[in-house]
Amino acid sequence: MKKINVVGLGNLLFGDEGFGVEAVRAIEACRQFPESVNFVDGGTQGIYLLDYFESCDALLVFDSIIPVEFEPKVYLYRNDELPAFIHRKMSAHQMGLSELLGVARLHGRVPGEIVLIGAPPHNLDLGGGLSDVMRGHLEKGVAMAVEVLEGWLGE
Amino acid sequence: MAKKIVVDPIPRIEGHLRIEAKTNDANVIEEAWSTGTMWRGIEVILQGRDPRDAWAFAERICGVCTTVHALASVRCVEDALGIEVPTNARIIRNLMEATQHTQDHLVHFYHLHALDWVDVVSALKADPKQASDIAQSISPWPKSSVGYFKDLQKRLVSFVESGQLGIFSNGYWGHPAYKLPPEVNLIAVAHYLEALDFQKEIIKIQTIFGGKNPHPNYLVGGMACAIDPNSDTAINIERLAMVKKIIDDTQTFIDQVYIPDLLAIASYYKGWLYGGGLGNFMSYGDFPEKNVNDVKSLLWPRGVILNKDLTTIHDVDPRDTAQIKEEIGHSWYTYSKGSDKGLHPWEGETKPHYTGPKPPYEYMDTDKQYSWLKTPRWKDHAVEVGPLARVLIGYAKGDPMLKDTVGMVLGKLGVGPEALFSTLGRTAARGIECKQTAGFMGKFYDELIANVKTGDYRTFNSDRWDPSTWPAECKGFGYTEAPRGSLGHWIRIKDKKIDEYQIVVPSTWNASPRDNKGNSGAYEAALKGTPMADPSKPLEILRTIHSFDPCLACASHVFDMNGNEITKVTIV
Repeated sequence: MKKINVVGLGNLLFGDEGFGVEAVRAIEACRQFPESVNFVDGGTQGIYLLDYFESCDALLVFDSIIPVEFEPKVYLYRNDELPAFIHRKMSAHQMGLSELLGVARLHGRVPGEIVLIGAPPHNLDLGGGLSDVMRGHLEKGVAMAVEVLEGWLGE
Repeated sequence: MAKKIVVDPIPRIEGHLRIEAKTNDANVIEEAWSTGTMWRGIEVILQGRDPRDAWAFAERICGVCTTVHALASVRCVEDALGIEVPTNARIIRNLMEATQHTQDHLVHFYHLHALDWVDVVSALKADPKQASDIAQSISPWPKSSVGYFKDLQKRLVSFVESGQLGIFSNGYWGHPAYKLPPEVNLIAVAHYLEALDFQKEIIKIQTIFGGKNPHPNYLVGGMACAIDPNSDTAINIERLAMVKKIIDDTQTFIDQVYIPDLLAIASYYKGWLYGGGLGNFMSYGDFPEKNVNDVKSLLWPRGVILNKDLTTIHDVDPRDTAQIKEEIGHSWYTYSKGSDKGLHPWEGETKPHYTGPKPPYEYMDTDKQYSWLKTPRWKDHAVEVGPLARVLIGYAKGDPMLKDTVGMVLGKLGVGPEALFSTLGRTAARGIECKQTAGFMGKFYDELIANVKTGDYRTFNSDRWDPSTWPAECKGFGYTEAPRGSLGHWIRIKDKKIDEYQIVVPSTWNASPRDNKGNSGAYEAALKGTPMADPSKPLEILRTIHSFDPCLACASHVFDMNGNEITKVTIV
């Protein structure tokens, strides 16, 4: 059976930044999945999440994103649509999805299937929780994720 | 002509650390200013909450240091409520913390800092045979054959040539400040990849004791994990054996990979002894062998060094309202009783008051307020915190392991102890400390086994769990030495709720702006006097700032599909 990791990225303390983690919680609660599907509250842990990226056959990531055209909607990117690069950075905290993918690629352990589901943040204020706009995206994003997971599980 | 260099990693939304440096005609830095560009008002979120829940919020402040904030938070609530944790809980906390340090230092060196010294592109020109000879001459680490380095080089070439990947983008490859021969660069790149792979193992210890990772469970009064050698669900013989295996492998990796690489790389840079800075150092101490407030039982001693004088270690009392104060003369805050005087964290306030320029801006008005960081001072002294501070204090106090290891490193490099007061010294201290904490992991494991063998399985003290047992008002202080330095949490509890919570993180000490007397913070002081080979590629600034392992505004994590450059450099 395909090993699947579902990882939520972002910070719950900063409004819509919490989208990824909230989405993982929502999908985990919405129905029963087989044991081969592993749900991870990744927070903002950067490089420390590498194991979850390298240890599965298929990877689904939720995150708040800055898309190229910045429309307020849910985006879904697959495999090569996701940029993989390693930036020169100021601190260990500037470590994002692209860099994890870059390192996994150098290790030769990129999962066969990768999907990123995200939406642009509307409000990043401290302590507010998700904005109404983002809550709407969450519902849509979870529905899209269920479809992706069912596809993977059916293969 | 004099120039102002600005290094500012702002990708649209996220705020971070910004450095402005003024150089003279010879491109030597004369003055530097450090700015935290994002407000982290976690303290405000905590007000009114149940003190027993504070750790779970504190754990989210920082992207990398989850366990240290949780630990400081539970210690501060326990201090306020007068709770002593069971022996097992104390040992497990020590073991988890030593694990965190070891992993964090290893990742810092290879992932964040190595590329300040190592030129990845130069590794493509290396002779794999020579690289193999060098690797085998400095370490018994088995992955060192000609074939191993040849394969790696082939992989690297295909990555770099594929172009579309843009991996290792924005590097200052070919910069004149890089000094390593291609073969040492190739070894370092090999170990960069191996270290990122190996660190995944180390962290499994947090999952075993913390129940989950990356956000392990802590608990006011002890630890949430159950110990029973014979149970299937608790921490049992099998899981303990797993922990032991990880510890042994970790010690081998540090001894055979990290330390030899550190020495090999440092030997080419021992002429580059810039970045020393303040010469004042502070540590709260950590790793209690008895009660956390029994300062004498700390394996890492508490103290302050002033003016590089290792003969006198000054006492530090973080509870003394006259010793530690946070000033805001150059920060975007106000204090209700006047913003010109510093406040001890127990009297502290978090009232944001932004007076800086409206973004986008070119530079800060550094004569006025220019940072979201406050300015903590110990008895009015700016101090550096972190591995160099701890190693110097332990060394000065005569810790035998540190005496030996510091002596070995200085001896192999052929430099005197004064070389420790530099960027390279800070980097070496982190490696020395990583070896020390890997040793601590083994020590705490043995202590845990010995204690469990006495039949003591207790991990939680429930005496004061019920709020009806609490006083109407109380206050507490919790501390830890995080990988990046001294971390303090101060709490006031009133009517069973958090009334006031103040956190002073390591990077606030190191990255603070000028104080009310005009004294520079640790970053600002460390950059002064550094010559720049090419101001448009400020590798030397990044090298020194990275040596502190900065941790600022780590809370935000929006993914930018445009792949915007994270660190922007402008010259004004």
